[in-house]
Amino acid sequence: MSIKHEQSIENNDDIIIIKDLNKWYGDFHVLKDINLRVKKGERIVICGPSGSGKSTITRCINRLEEFQRGSLTVNGVEMIEDVKNIEAIRREVGMVFQHFNLFPHLTILENLTLGPIWVQKKPKKEAEAIAMKYLERVKIPDQAQKFPGQLSGGQQQRVAIARSLCMNPEIMLFDEPTSALDPEMIKEVLDVMVELADEGMTMLCVTHEMGFAKKVADRVIFMDAGEIVEQNTPEEIFNNPQTDRLQLFLSQILDH
Amino acid sequence: MKEFTPLPDKPAPNDVVGIIPWLRENLFPTPLNSLVTLAIIAFFATLIPPLFDWLFFSANWSGTTQDACTNKDGACWVFVIAWSKQFFYGSYPVEEIWRINTCLLALIAIIIASFKLHKDLRNKIAIPLFLLLPFLSIILLDGSLIGLEYVATDYWGGFTLNVMLAAASIIVAFPLSFLWALGRRSDMPFIRSVSVILIEFFRGVPVLALFFMGSVMLPLFFPEGTNVDKLLRVWIVLTLFMSGYMAEVFRGGFQAVPNGQYEAADSLGLGFWQKTLLIILPQVIKISMPNILATFVMLFKNTTFLLIIGIFEMLSTTQTALTNSNWLGGHSTEGYLFVAVVFWICCFSMSMISSSIERKLDTSHRN
Repeated sequence: MSIKHEQSIENNDDIIIIKDLNKWYGDFHVLKDINLRVKKGERIVICGPSGSGKSTITRCINRLEEFQRGSLTVNGVEMIEDVKNIEAIRREVGMVFQHFNLFPHLTILENLTLGPIWVQKKPKKEAEAIAMKYLERVKIPDQAQKFPGQLSGGQQQRVAIARSLCMNPEIMLFDEPTSALDPEMIKEVLDVMVELADEGMTMLCVTHEMGFAKKVADRVIFMDAGEIVEQNTPEEIFNNPQTDRLQLFLSQILDH
Repeated sequence: MKEFTPLPDKPAPNDVVGIIPWLRENLFPTPLNSLVTLAIIAFFATLIPPLFDWLFFSANWSGTTQDACTNKDGACWVFVIAWSKQFFYGSYPVEEIWRINTCLLALIAIIIASFKLHKDLRNKIAIPLFLLLPFLSIILLDGSLIGLEYVATDYWGGFTLNVMLAAASIIVAFPLSFLWALGRRSDMPFIRSVSVILIEFFRGVPVLALFFMGSVMLPLFFPEGTNVDKLLRVWIVLTLFMSGYMAEVFRGGFQAVPNGQYEAADSLGLGFWQKTLLIILPQVIKISMPNILATFVMLFKNTTFLLIIGIFEMLSTTQTALTNSNWLGGHSTEGYLFVAVVFWICCFSMSMISSSIERKLDTSHRN
C-alpha cells in the first residue's frame, strides 16, 4: 500500500471511515476486517469476482445490509442501531442499483419528486423544478410524464441516477449500474457517471467497466473472499498488480 | 460503406385473417372437431327454444295473485313482481323507501364519477365519498340521528341489506386486513403472533359457525344490560371473516413486490410508513386486484348465509314469500332464479369494474 494512503488515515475529515468491519450471513463470513477511508470528492471503483463482498460493502454504507463487528462513519455520523440515525445517513447517500428499482406505479417525475417531497418536506413546485433540472442533466426531460416501463434500460438507469441526485447527496453509491443493460446502452449511463465524477461528487462504484475505472477512478479496490486484496491507482492496479489473485482476475476479464 | 435500410412491412396473407379462416381454424380443423362442433350446436338448438319459451314467450307477466298465472307451461313472473318490493327493500316502511333509493343512486353516481373525473378530483372527492357511503347510508336508513323517522334495523331487509352489509364490511376489512398482513410480516414476535392467530382463526372457522358465534356467543362478551344490535354483530363477524381472507391475499401481494422496491425506498431515506403506503401498498393492490375481487364476490354471496340466523336478507325473504299461504303454487324455480340473476348481475358488474381498475393501474406498457 502506498505512503499516500498511510497519511490519509490520520485525516479525520474523511467522508467515509470504515474500521475493522466484519459481517456474517449466518455462519458465512462475507466481510473480513475491512478498513477503508474515503476522502471527500474521491472516486473509487471496487471490482472483484462475484461473491467477493464488493456489493455487500457498498450496501453496508447505507445500511441496506447490517454488519456485526467494527464501525462505520458516514459524513461524521456513526452508524448505530437507531432508525433516526440510519435515516440521517441514508439522506446523505444516494444509491443506484443494478436493476434500477424505479417505482413502476409512479411517473418518472413522481419517482424523482417523491424523496424531496416526503423526506425533505419540500413544496411540490420546488421538488418538480429540481427534478426537471436533473432530468435535463441526464438528458431525458421529455420523458417526465411517462412510466418507467415505457423507457429503455439505459433511460431507466439514468432516471435512477437523477432520482438519487434530487436528494442532493454527499456520496453516490453505484452497485453494478451497467450490468443489466444492453451493450448499446452502457455508454449513455457511463457518460452520465463520468460527468458526475468531473463535478467532484464522491463516488463508490462497483463495476466491471475497466475503461470507466481507468478514466475516472482515483483509486481502484480489488476484493476477493471478503477482503480488500489490493488498492491503488488504476495505472498501478492494471499495469503492475502485486498479487497473483489480481493478476488472474485481470487476465480473466481483459482477455476477451 | 453500404447503408442499411429495413425491409418494408407486408400485409398479412388473406388465408390467416377474416371469418372463414377463423371458422376453419377454430371450429372445423379436423373431422372429429367438426363432429363435436355440430353436436354442441344440436344440443343448444334443442335446449334453448323451450327454455326461452318458458322464460319469456309463455311466461305470465301480469296480475297480482298467483291465480293470474294461467299458463302452466310458462314461468310465473307475477310471483316475483308481486314480491319485488320485499325482495329489494325487506319490510322497510313503504313511505320511507326513498331513503334506500337515494343511497343506491348515490352509489351509482359515485361509481360513474370516479371513472369520469380527473385523477386529482377523483382521489380527493369521489374515493373518500365512496368509502364513507355505507356509513352515510346507515345513518340515513336509521334516520334517528338526522331528524327523520327512526326505522329500527328489524325492518331492514332484502337485497338492500346484502349490499349494505357487504359494502360496510369490505370497507373496514380493507385497511384492517392490510394491517394484519403487515403484522404477519413484522419482525416483532408479539405483533406477528397476534396477526397469525387472528388470520388463521377467521380463515379457518366456517363462516356459518362464525355467524352463530356472532349471534349467540358475542353478546356474552359485552357488559351486562347492553343490547348490541344483531346487525351490528353480524357486520363485525363479516368484517373479521373478510379480513382473514384479505390478509392472505395481501400477503401474496407483498411477496410479489421485488425486494429492490424496498431497498430503493430505504435508500431514499423514506420512513417505514411512507415506504409502506407510498411505494408498497399501491403495488400490492395492483398485483392482488383479481384476488381482492374474488374475495369481495365471495363475501357478497356469503351474505345470503345470514338467512340461517334469521336475518331477512334477499334469500330468506324469498323463502318467506315461497311459504306464504297465498303463493303456495310452487314458484321456487322463479324465485331462486331471480335471486341468482340479481346476484349474478352485481357480481359481474363488480368484475367489470375491477378489470377496468386493473387496466388503469397497469403502467407497464402504456405507450
